[in-house]
Amino acid sequence: MKKNLFLFFLAFFAILTGCQNNESEFPSSDDPTVVVSTKEIYGAPSRKFEIKAALADDLGLKSVEIQIPELSLDKVISFATDPLLKSYDLSYFFEVPANRGTSESFKIKLTITDVSGNEVNEEINLRLDGEFAAPSITMITPKEGAVILLSTSNEMPVIFVVNDDSGIDYVQVKCDALGIDETVQLTGSPQSYTFNKTYTLPVTAADYVLTITAKDKFAIPNTGSLSVNIVATNEYPAIYLCDQPKGTNLTTDAVGVPMYFHEKNGQDFEFKYYADSDNKEIYFLGQESDFAPHCFGLNTSGELADDVNSSPIILPTKGYYVIKVNPNTLKYTATKYTPSSKVWANIANGLWHDDEALRRPFVSVCGGGIQGADWDTWTAWVQTGLHLANNPNNPYQLVGEYTLTGTMEATFTGQWWNPSWRLIKNGICTMSPGENGNAKYPAAAGVYKVVLDTELERVFITKK
Amino acid sequence: MKFKYIWFFIALLCTAVSFGQIKIKGTVKDKANVPIPGVNVIVKGTSTSTATDFDGNYVINVPNKSSQIEFSFVGFTSQTVSIAEKTEINIVLQESSQALDEIVVVGYAAVKKSDVTSSISSIKGKELQTMTVGNVTESLQGKVSGVQVTGQGGPGAQPRVLIRGISTVNLSTDPLYVVDGIPMGTSINFLSNNEIESMEVLKDASASAIYGSRASNGVILITTKKGKVGKARFNFDLSSGMQIMNNPYNMADAESYATIMNTAYNNSGYSDYLPNPSQYKGKTTDWWRAGIRTGTPVTNASFGVSGGSDKHTYAASINYYNSDSMYGVGGWERVTMRIANDFKFTDKFSAGITLNPRYETWGAPGNWADFDKIDPITPIYKPADQLTGLENEYSIYARSPSYIWNPVAAVKRYDDYTDQYNLNTNGYLQYEPIKGLVIRTQASVEVGDKIWSKFTPDFVIDAAHEKAEINTIERRATNNVDWTWQNTATYTKTFAEKHNASLMIGNTMEEYNGNDVWGYGEGVPNNSESMRELNAATKNRNSGGNSWSSSLMSYISRFSYNYDGKYYFTGTFRRDGSSKFMANNKWANFPSASVSWRILNEGFMEKTKDVLSDLRFRAGWGKVGNQNLPSAVYQSNIGQGFYVIDGQVVDTSYPSSMANKDIKWETVEDVSFGIDFGLWKNKLSGSLEYYQKKTHDMLFLKQFPTYSGFPGYSTMWTNVGSMQSSGIDLLISYKDKKGDFSYGADLTFTTVNVEMLSLSSDGEKLYGASNRTLTVKGEEPGYFYGYVADGLFQNQTELNSHTDEHGTKLQPYAKLGDIRFKDVNGDGKLDDKDRTKIGSPWADYTIGLNLNFGYKNFDLIANFYSSIGNDIVNQNISDLYNGASLTNKVSGLEQMAWHGEGTSNYVPRLSKDDNNENFTKFSSLYVEDGSFVRMKNLQLGYSFYNKFGLDKLRISLSGQNLWTWTNYTGVDPEVAGGDPNTGDRVKGSGFGGWNYPVQPTILMGLNVAF
Repeated sequence: MKKNLFLFFLAFFAILTGCQNNESEFPSSDDPTVVVSTKEIYGAPSRKFEIKAALADDLGLKSVEIQIPELSLDKVISFATDPLLKSYDLSYFFEVPANRGTSESFKIKLTITDVSGNEVNEEINLRLDGEFAAPSITMITPKEGAVILLSTSNEMPVIFVVNDDSGIDYVQVKCDALGIDETVQLTGSPQSYTFNKTYTLPVTAADYVLTITAKDKFAIPNTGSLSVNIVATNEYPAIYLCDQPKGTNLTTDAVGVPMYFHEKNGQDFEFKYYADSDNKEIYFLGQESDFAPHCFGLNTSGELADDVNSSPIILPTKGYYVIKVNPNTLKYTATKYTPSSKVWANIANGLWHDDEALRRPFVSVCGGGIQGADWDTWTAWVQTGLHLANNPNNPYQLVGEYTLTGTMEATFTGQWWNPSWRLIKNGICTMSPGENGNAKYPAAAGVYKVVLDTELERVFITKK
Repeated sequence: MKFKYIWFFIALLCTAVSFGQIKIKGTVKDKANVPIPGVNVIVKGTSTSTATDFDGNYVINVPNKSSQIEFSFVGFTSQTVSIAEKTEINIVLQESSQALDEIVVVGYAAVKKSDVTSSISSIKGKELQTMTVGNVTESLQGKVSGVQVTGQGGPGAQPRVLIRGISTVNLSTDPLYVVDGIPMGTSINFLSNNEIESMEVLKDASASAIYGSRASNGVILITTKKGKVGKARFNFDLSSGMQIMNNPYNMADAESYATIMNTAYNNSGYSDYLPNPSQYKGKTTDWWRAGIRTGTPVTNASFGVSGGSDKHTYAASINYYNSDSMYGVGGWERVTMRIANDFKFTDKFSAGITLNPRYETWGAPGNWADFDKIDPITPIYKPADQLTGLENEYSIYARSPSYIWNPVAAVKRYDDYTDQYNLNTNGYLQYEPIKGLVIRTQASVEVGDKIWSKFTPDFVIDAAHEKAEINTIERRATNNVDWTWQNTATYTKTFAEKHNASLMIGNTMEEYNGNDVWGYGEGVPNNSESMRELNAATKNRNSGGNSWSSSLMSYISRFSYNYDGKYYFTGTFRRDGSSKFMANNKWANFPSASVSWRILNEGFMEKTKDVLSDLRFRAGWGKVGNQNLPSAVYQSNIGQGFYVIDGQVVDTSYPSSMANKDIKWETVEDVSFGIDFGLWKNKLSGSLEYYQKKTHDMLFLKQFPTYSGFPGYSTMWTNVGSMQSSGIDLLISYKDKKGDFSYGADLTFTTVNVEMLSLSSDGEKLYGASNRTLTVKGEEPGYFYGYVADGLFQNQTELNSHTDEHGTKLQPYAKLGDIRFKDVNGDGKLDDKDRTKIGSPWADYTIGLNLNFGYKNFDLIANFYSSIGNDIVNQNISDLYNGASLTNKVSGLEQMAWHGEGTSNYVPRLSKDDNNENFTKFSSLYVEDGSFVRMKNLQLGYSFYNKFGLDKLRISLSGQNLWTWTNYTGVDPEVAGGDPNTGDRVKGSGFGGWNYPVQPTILMGLNVAF
């Protein structure tokens, strides 16, 4: 009996020991303090906002809880207690769900607890009617990469339009090399402003960067900026062949429009070009992204002229041409020729095979920014949607359709890179071994038409 | 005349003596009615004794009716019978498994069980023969403490046998098998369980050190059946039944599959993959039924004869085993013969020879997973409108959009078989020039020929994805000739009655030689059976060949001593020289010592003998080695590689491995302590042992540092690191008999704790199983290493709060229903550093429970085996639950997977993209409790004695692996090691997948003796 009694008390004390309270092991202390950086935060649907506060405690912080029940936020940040943390700068970002309305507002509740168990609360207002878009700057002239031929004129007109919903505070134009630092302070917070001013350039060739900045008038101001690279030269660094009608946006393609020259000797530029129809109309451009300022076409006398109002040069019949042009002497020639390079026929019936003798060439693509493609030629084989087909109208052209997902790079390839064409800078698609390095081309996501011209060693990837 | 009186007097005296005596005669037989020659028949309390003759008969004179006769024989329980009025006494001796005078094989010798000082477990062949298994170690499971057997399904599969855990990370963990004194490597697939007389497991180093450099994983000694003095006795054993293969998963039917895939697509923002699922109702392709046999036959048969005289005993048997594969194609078939002859030419000179010819053939497809994984909509055959009539017989099958190759077609194409022929000849000569000195020489020659043939027919099921445009043929012939020669001299002597000593010295030599030739060709004119020859290949003929050799020379010795049956000492020493190592370390020494105190024989224990039948303490120490590394690692090798240089493919050479002149054995040092006990005339008996073994100089294949100039893939074997295993083995046996009812139970309990003590450098991390396991100092090797899956995101609040302290999402692509991975180190990032230990493949303990019952002529046995505390990676989870692939899923997955708050906290939402990497991140999602209890065998038998003109006829019905209790949701909880070819034998343990399961089997048995 005594034994049982002993066991009972042993068990009883064991339970008591096991049930000791779990209260804080830290001594009592003062309440923690919280200083928020602002009592009102602006947010917007699909946009992150920041909750900032300085937390402190005389003994040590234990945790901070951030709650916005309506937006399903209940975040607890716990702090290490060895060593104790006496102060903490809270900086917490949270994205407002897209489905919330801009007229809504909420309370952000902060609960700060210290290691002694003291707890304080703080509330911050959250408004969703914030305006966070930077002023948009639309460049009229000069466009990115513009070439100013000093022999023609050393004046540089600068025209751009700024738009902002909450109104524009000021616009600033800077170019350190040219000593331009001009700020236009606007009154009345207009939502739109057009800047128009002509600057004079030195007569020596140089590259310039023009930086345009615009700031809006929102409670938390937003600033937008844009940099434009300009080349002032006595010679054209490059000439492009454009077979698009005037007015066409030349920046929507991924690669190839307008077409970069093939050979250059001084100011003698040589192109190889395929006219896919009779009476094909072409121009020569002094810059890649626009018809202005240098567009070479025919004047009323039928002579080559640097004039954005000139008429197109007409290639009379369908086929391959060698075209030579000199923008200084304003002379050009267009000579039709018959290609003699290898024809990659019947690639639709290509076959992957480990035995080289049994392989049949196919042409697909490896690269990045192309849906379905990676850098594995097996992927290029199994992703049949990437396979190019022969253009029935031109044996030297392989055609297809790709979905681009962003900045792209590519090598058109068969099994184990044989055959392969590497896409390098300026739309040049060099056949292996060729030049090294794949160039990256920014492209908007979407479906594109692809034309690989094996005779020209050029690829044209244009928005469908 | 004087002599006449003397003779008369003697005759009178004899008559007077015999006049008061009673002549008793009779026969001594065993339970199977077989006469036992040589049984000691002693009149108790006198020196009068005799022995039974060839037919078990005896005649003995006893002084009076109150006399008692004692009958005793090795391996049987002694019986004492009072004379009373009897003049004829026929005895049936009962076999005893616990008798202390039972003989135990200990390596180059045999000793009485009572004299064993080290850790050795014995099991009789009869116990192993209760199960119908291809590999006898399968039957060993749960019957021996300290031995963990992990079953492997499939014809010809070899179970994993671990004796007291593991002592190596990179080399084989299999024990050394020694058959009739000859080391036979690390597999005994070639041996029928009907050939085995007994098996001894040498568990500690003090027992196994006599096998030196190959004993670190333990040694299993197998003694095969030999002839016994007596008339010719024939045995026929047949066990035949069906192995059952039920589909382990309830896979979705066509309609359900369409619903599941549509859900996955919709959840990822895509339109339906298979619109209008109801259109597939009733159009399910039952792949399982089309290609997998639910029942496959298995047969184990043996016919033997044994007998002999004092001068010559013989035993011959022919054994057959066949297990068909579940595909209806291939399997495993084995035919072996064993012919053993032992001769006793004189009292001093004896000899024996055993011939063991064997034939095995095996080969079976391995794609049963594909029958579950292929989509249920694709038909087996191409629709008629897609056939042109020009297809060959392998091209008429349909292609699945799931990218799973048509499994029915794959089985149809299967032609990959191996035939193996072996002949083992094992002979000995034994000479005993003086009493107690035995000189023995034994030699064995093993000749083998293995032929592997493979033919792959050409076919085009899908021109882009599923085809072989040209057929191929391949054949490899491998020959081996191995020989062993061992010579021993053993002197046994008792001094001054109480000092018993024995000394054995000897040497052994072994050589293993092999070579192969290989041929390959393509473009055999057609796929017909008769054309499947290398000579028929018309393209790309290729050939190769190689040869290899290794040898071992050893000196061995053992000294045993005991004083008065109380204090025992055994010491062994082996010196091994191996061809695998260079001069610096060619020779190594492997000593051992063990002591035993049989306390029961002390005078002060006399009073306890009514209760105690046996009590002794044991302690042992020893060193053993592991040399199971490739034969020629001391050589530097040049590898071949192809590189593209200047656009040309160039055949190049590079240093692929470098010699390490200092390479040597892994050394395992082992200490063990044990206690053996028996109570109430050994009704209750058992043993408890503790062991600890440390491995030093572990062998690792290491890469060279970059600055050495060697390519990154150049490697060198080197001795670095150490590890330790420790644990407890417990065996408890109970047996009793009440009238006609007898019963017994054996319980085995084994624990193993493994820990890495050091690696080649501090903080080194050894990854295994594609970076899914980690081996580091202070931890068990090969623990599962991955992310912690902390449930699923049930609501937006949970999703929003899974950020760092600045609100940056830890899983930016996570959506509701995705897995929440734990930021283990709390650094606010989810990356490789958050991987941690998420499970262990090693069991905390294993338990075996073996029950046997007998009532009159009925007998019933039940064997259970359990592994507790190990985890298993269920790799099939990805196949079964992941909506990203087009393979079939489990039925009802759309409801099992998360589809709203609270619907599941385990199976993630269905997703085509799996952007959250629910399945591609290796996490605790895959880790399951691998504990299980399995009824290994349940057998009911009935025996007829002396009926139908037979000595014995026994019929039995048994079920193997009928029930398994486990929480593991994979195919089979018996999951062994990883791929040894990638060094994952240990580091890849515990990865379950579509492994061929250990199948439930129903069997009928027939045993006939006449």
